Amino acid sequence: MNSLVARYSRPAFQNEGYGEEEQQQALADFASPLSLNFALPPVASSASWLRAMTDDHSNPNCPIKIAHGTTTLAFRFKGGIIVATDSRATAGNWIASQTVKKVIEINSCLLGTMAGGAADCQYWLAYLGMQCRLHELRHKRRISVAAASKILANLVYSYKGKGLSMGTMCAGVTPSEGPALYYIDSDGTRLAGNLFCVGSGQTFAYGVLDAEYKYELEDDEALELGRRSILAATHRDAFSGGFINLYHIQEAGWTKHGFSDTNPIFWETKLKKGEFSNVTSELV
Amino acid sequence: MASGYDRALSVFSPDGHVFQVEYALEAVKRGTCAVAVKGSGIVVLGCEKRSAMKLQDTRITPSKISMVDNHVCLAFAGLNADARILVDKARLEAQSHRLTVEDPVTIEYITKYVAGVQQRYTQSGGVRPFGISTLIVGFDPGSEEARLYQTEPSGIYSAWKANAIGRSSKTVREFLERNHKPGMDRATTIELTIKSLLEVVQTGAKNIEIAIMAPGKNVEMLGSDEIEKTVEKINHDKEVEANTRRAGRGGAAASAGAVGAQGPEQVLASRPAGEGGAPE
Amino acid sequence: MADTSASRESCLHVFELEVLLGITGKDFTIIAASKAAMRGASILKPNDDKTRILNKQTLMAFVGEPGDTVQFAEYIQANIQLYSMRNASDLSPYEVSSFVRAELAKSLRSRSPYTVNLLLGGYDAIKQKPELYWIDYLASCAPLPYAAHGYAQYYCLSILDKHHHPDIDYEQGMKLLRMCTDELKRRLPIDFKGVMVKVIDKDGIREEPYVDDKQVYAA
Repeated sequence: MNSLVARYSRPAFQNEGYGEEEQQQALADFASPLSLNFALPPVASSASWLRAMTDDHSNPNCPIKIAHGTTTLAFRFKGGIIVATDSRATAGNWIASQTVKKVIEINSCLLGTMAGGAADCQYWLAYLGMQCRLHELRHKRRISVAAASKILANLVYSYKGKGLSMGTMCAGVTPSEGPALYYIDSDGTRLAGNLFCVGSGQTFAYGVLDAEYKYELEDDEALELGRRSILAATHRDAFSGGFINLYHIQEAGWTKHGFSDTNPIFWETKLKKGEFSNVTSELV
Repeated sequence: MASGYDRALSVFSPDGHVFQVEYALEAVKRGTCAVAVKGSGIVVLGCEKRSAMKLQDTRITPSKISMVDNHVCLAFAGLNADARILVDKARLEAQSHRLTVEDPVTIEYITKYVAGVQQRYTQSGGVRPFGISTLIVGFDPGSEEARLYQTEPSGIYSAWKANAIGRSSKTVREFLERNHKPGMDRATTIELTIKSLLEVVQTGAKNIEIAIMAPGKNVEMLGSDEIEKTVEKINHDKEVEANTRRAGRGGAAASAGAVGAQGPEQVLASRPAGEGGAPE
Repeated sequence: MADTSASRESCLHVFELEVLLGITGKDFTIIAASKAAMRGASILKPNDDKTRILNKQTLMAFVGEPGDTVQFAEYIQANIQLYSMRNASDLSPYEVSSFVRAELAKSLRSRSPYTVNLLLGGYDAIKQKPELYWIDYLASCAPLPYAAHGYAQYYCLSILDKHHHPDIDYEQGMKLLRMCTDELKRRLPIDFKGVMVKVIDKDGIREEPYVDDKQVYAA
């Protein structure tokens, strides 16, 4: 009987990945019109196969070079949340793009950041955007950041070991939870926190950010700190660079504070503030 | 009479009825009465308890009021056994919701889910609709505003300030319509709930069950002595009222008033005696 | 250790550096879990809670493969709470341990097993006894008076072997915990950001503030 009923099972509620007797099938059945059934390579372990095909570190002649390498950061402070990223995409040693948008606008109050596989991040954050909108329509209120991040975490967890590569942050301000920030990666880890840096340049960004971060920052101080942290990472990390993409999220929604070239900012920082003293500006 | 259109569930009659669903509503009408009333910062569920057989252990016989989650309470009218299945599905969904989105369910969400399950059982072959209506009450997480919803066998759900389902629900609903006021406090809400149930419950306090929900608190089942006290108070108030009316109108009206007071009980006397399979 | 499979034993994980400790006494169980959430070269979170409350008097602490840990713990949590909801009564710590072990055993034989090590602390309200279960990702389960997971085992078990008695009171229990965490701070090569301490007793589960700012040096 259940199988009969299951045929008429609630398409309306089902898509967030939980059902009841259908629970096991949920993922397979998920098939919304824009199907999420992916073809996997016909090999025993798709993850290790993918690694063999894409790991240019161990094999510089690998056939596929995935876009990687990033610095992204986000932190909570009294005036909301700052989200900042660089804009470089690299595929192996080749800079594939200098103008990537690594902040994904999920809706007017929610932002996602991308680090890791560019395609994975873009696809799944777009998918998350869709789920968030559906949640909004079904529940008649905007999704909480906790729920949104959990949808993504559960999703990537279901693909664990299949070779997804993402390190993302979900940031947003909702009336119920205030400013909220979550870190999600393709291991299935999901952490709530005040401050995260993700990507190959994370250590450089942490260095600058940790030293001057405090929750009581003013809005302009926070924006400057976010910008300066990304600049530090783009300066030291070969796989980060391009433009600084800066966002500020408040209760009313996010505002964009520019997509600004690192080069003039670097020189301004150096010449006006005297930082980066290891770089000479004159020919000696 | 229905010329075969009541045999298969998923078949419409030519005039647009799905008879099995309407029969399910009949089962609900035979169930014992359940009432829910919203006050300010409180919502009260009241149920008529079937009078127990002599050897029945009432202490551990399952109640008609059940918890779906810590903040959601459900009462039903109709087939007891059907309700058990439905409540269990709702409980599973409530936990599942916590697991997947971290927040507890909102009352509307779980109502929609329950109604969704009920609807599913009106649209496929080989199944029978749930012979129950439910009243779902509680407070959304972090909210101070009481919620009260009703679901029906057809899968309809609706929101209410106060409502009744089951046997004589029409009488009780009309009573509530006359007496419900916005912004009632705790004592008044409980009293109104019990008063409305007394419209149809003949044996008074011992056949009434009351559950109280307040924001952020666990459910509170009202003790039988407290129900007793409220019933006495209501009866006392009624008497006083009758006396003043008698004094006002003179002796002739008094006997008529007494007959009037008997009214509801006469309705009750005609209900079928409790059998095991009868709807609750 | 109950680890008998050679192939599994050979793989060494970062999560061995995470600390999980459990101590029982006369009428309480203490669970301590390290607060650092580590990924690669960074500590992503210095105040991570590696425990989940299962019911009024059972607490589960977990370390292991990132992702698996929380997924498994919350799955167990939801099921134990569903049981409480359905039956209007809680499972005892012993019953919970059996359920958890069975779930792990089931997962171990599936295509993608959970790699999670657990400590289950509880207080049995009927027996009026504290309980502690040591469970590893191979689904071994042992009731123990004190237990640990990861590298913490190598330091702390000897301390506890020497100083633990089943009838110690709460203050002595906390003193024992202090000895353990001090030794870990002294000898463990990484900073695990101190421990979060939870206590389970007849009154339920509570978090115990644990002052951990003192520097400890090796002699």
